[in-house]
Amino acid sequence: MEENDNKLQRTASFNSGMSDVVLGCVLSYVHDPRDRAAISLVCRRWYELDSSSRKHITIAFCYTTTTDRLRRRFPFLESLELKGKPRAAMFNLIPDDWGGYVTPWVREIAENFDCLRSLHFRRMIVRDSDLEVLARSRGRVLQALKLDKCSGFSTDGLFHIGSMCRQLRTLFLEESSIVERDGQWLHEIAMNNSVLETLNFYMTDLVQVSFEDLERIARNCCNLTSVKVSDCEILDLVGFFRTASVLEEFCGGSFNNEQSDRYNAVTFPPKLCRLGLTYMGSHEMPIVFPFASSLKRLDLLYALLNTEDHCLLIQRCPNLEVFETRNVIGDRGLEVLAQSCKKLKRLRIERGADEQGMGDEEGAVSHRGLTALAQGCLELEYIAIYVSDITNASLESVGTHSKNLCDFRLVLLDREERITDLPLDNGVRALLRGCEKLRRFALYLRPGGLTDVGLGYIGQYSPNVRWMLLGYVGGSDTGLLEFSKGCPSLQKLEMRGCCFSERALAHAALQLPSLRYLWVQGYKASSRSGRDLLAMARPFWNIELIPARRVVTTNQVGEAFVDEHPAHILAYYSLAGPRTDFPDTVIPLDPVL
Amino acid sequence: MSRATVELDFFGMEKANSSKSQFQKFIDRRRSFRGIQGAISKMNPELIKSVISSGSTNRSPVDWRKSFSVPSSPKEDRSSPVPSLPILNPALRASSEDSRETAPVTIFYNGTVSVFNVTRDKAESIFKLAVEGSSKNVESTDSLKVANPSRDQRNLLETRNGDLPIARNKSLQRFLEKRKER
Repeated sequence: MEENDNKLQRTASFNSGMSDVVLGCVLSYVHDPRDRAAISLVCRRWYELDSSSRKHITIAFCYTTTTDRLRRRFPFLESLELKGKPRAAMFNLIPDDWGGYVTPWVREIAENFDCLRSLHFRRMIVRDSDLEVLARSRGRVLQALKLDKCSGFSTDGLFHIGSMCRQLRTLFLEESSIVERDGQWLHEIAMNNSVLETLNFYMTDLVQVSFEDLERIARNCCNLTSVKVSDCEILDLVGFFRTASVLEEFCGGSFNNEQSDRYNAVTFPPKLCRLGLTYMGSHEMPIVFPFASSLKRLDLLYALLNTEDHCLLIQRCPNLEVFETRNVIGDRGLEVLAQSCKKLKRLRIERGADEQGMGDEEGAVSHRGLTALAQGCLELEYIAIYVSDITNASLESVGTHSKNLCDFRLVLLDREERITDLPLDNGVRALLRGCEKLRRFALYLRPGGLTDVGLGYIGQYSPNVRWMLLGYVGGSDTGLLEFSKGCPSLQKLEMRGCCFSERALAHAALQLPSLRYLWVQGYKASSRSGRDLLAMARPFWNIELIPARRVVTTNQVGEAFVDEHPAHILAYYSLAGPRTDFPDTVIPLDPVL
Repeated sequence: MSRATVELDFFGMEKANSSKSQFQKFIDRRRSFRGIQGAISKMNPELIKSVISSGSTNRSPVDWRKSFSVPSSPKEDRSSPVPSLPILNPALRASSEDSRETAPVTIFYNGTVSVFNVTRDKAESIFKLAVEGSSKNVESTDSLKVANPSRDQRNLLETRNGDLPIARNKSLQRFLEKRKER
């Protein structure tokens, strides 16, 4: 391409400064994907060097590119992460058959990616046949397999993995919907694997696993450091705990013999510092006390503790860095946390039960707890919190103290009629201005929670934020238009319960300079066909609609509920053209039609 | 005034089951009306009145709450979520009636009985409200049981967030359901 002699000379002299070998050495230290992307833009040679040396790729949305493109550009890939369904799928908002099939990717991997050792599928549909193909073609080299919130497969597929992937260090199945036929898959791992380090089937419904197989794995795998299981009686795991001598992380289990003293005899492995015990109640809690002070990570999301229990336990955990629980912790518990856990980096307070009689009633977290937290835990990098009440002052407090905050997510629950201090315009502004490292931001309020001015503030004061979830913010299209004048780094935007018109949404999508992915549920539709959305039609921009649906869901005990789901819009940049694998529930918006 | 009855096929049964026998269709319709009645009985009468009386000012269905994915009326740039409720005045209605036929709608609510003469459009919007209100705890079909008390509570008192209750994380939802069984 360089026809100009001068240019050629300059390029040549540039190149002679650094041979490919040297450049390759330097590149091997560069891992950040954005650095790598910048490097690949310098010139053709650097592009090719990056392509052949890139070890890991994350495809944030599987429909943005094709298997061909991946293979052509990064043929020597060692690690791949693929994400499918929109994040809303984690909240039961996306039809099960929406898409995100791994099959074409598995086929490509089986045929061409000879160096691939690590695979991570998140929110995708995986079939038993996919797992079989993977096991047969890559079984000898596969070291890590993560089926993260996936669905569509059974324990038969896992059997193939267990029997043929004998080099597996990591098997991760957390929160996947797996059809259980038997526990043979775990038995295969127990019989064939001696290098397993991480085993995770937490929050799956796999109950036919045998604890003897777990013990066998603990005995055979001398590097077994992290095990997270489904509901499996803790008393049955006593042997496992005794054998897994290097275990650092354990989550799951179950306490089915409530009030029993036999739990006192359970001893945990000596290096255990990351823990989460399902259904653990006040009575069983003391078994954690002996090593509570070495805990760095504690998961009480699925425990049965009340506010008082939380206070008692947290006091004993001064080294806590990561903590998750439900809002039963209460403001009182957060105050104890703020006093005791000065090293806290990540905190997640989830929403507990709404009904009476479930022991969570005292559980409500508000501005009081949030302020204490901000003032007490100065190392915080991640806060996700469901509050029942909020003030501007508490958000200002976060802005003042939480200087390391990268990720802030606040949901205002809808049970209280009166909120102390709305709208939150000023508090949000103070938070955004104070937390300069903020990359991810979620704000889920209610009508009146944030005015159009406040929405404008978000646009103005979030220079580095790449992902946002906004629920019930603003009051009119004006707010959205103000917002879209800012947010220079915003790549992925999710919105729910907006009062914005299709036209405003389309305009905003065109304005936001970095936007590559937009998801909206609940907006002012101008027609069933989504006509006005076509204002944002442009090359490489796919627009899809999931029209309003009525969904019947059945819970654990067979009760059926009918839910009205308003329409979704999903729009994204893609080099792959429109999807070709739509279910009935998804409609592409084609400007040509 | 004619006494034409308004038959509304909510569950699309007409389309889906055109081959069904007359009797079956009758049963289906009765079921859907029972469902509607059940739903209307849970609704706030003021709301119903506002919807009905808005017809007297010749506007399309009132945007009584932030409606999502529902066709909106032309003058849509109102910022206040709840419009003022026009006063129900039978005399006014009678005089502003257009040439379309009206028929009586009888509503039983909370121990009171109200009868309104409405046009077909008005009736449809009332029924639509009722279905939306009732579909969260449908009892008109055999296979569906009434939702648990808290869901009833949440739906009877319209949530602050209109149609979209805050969605819960899947795993947490399952945990909270399993916990109830222990």
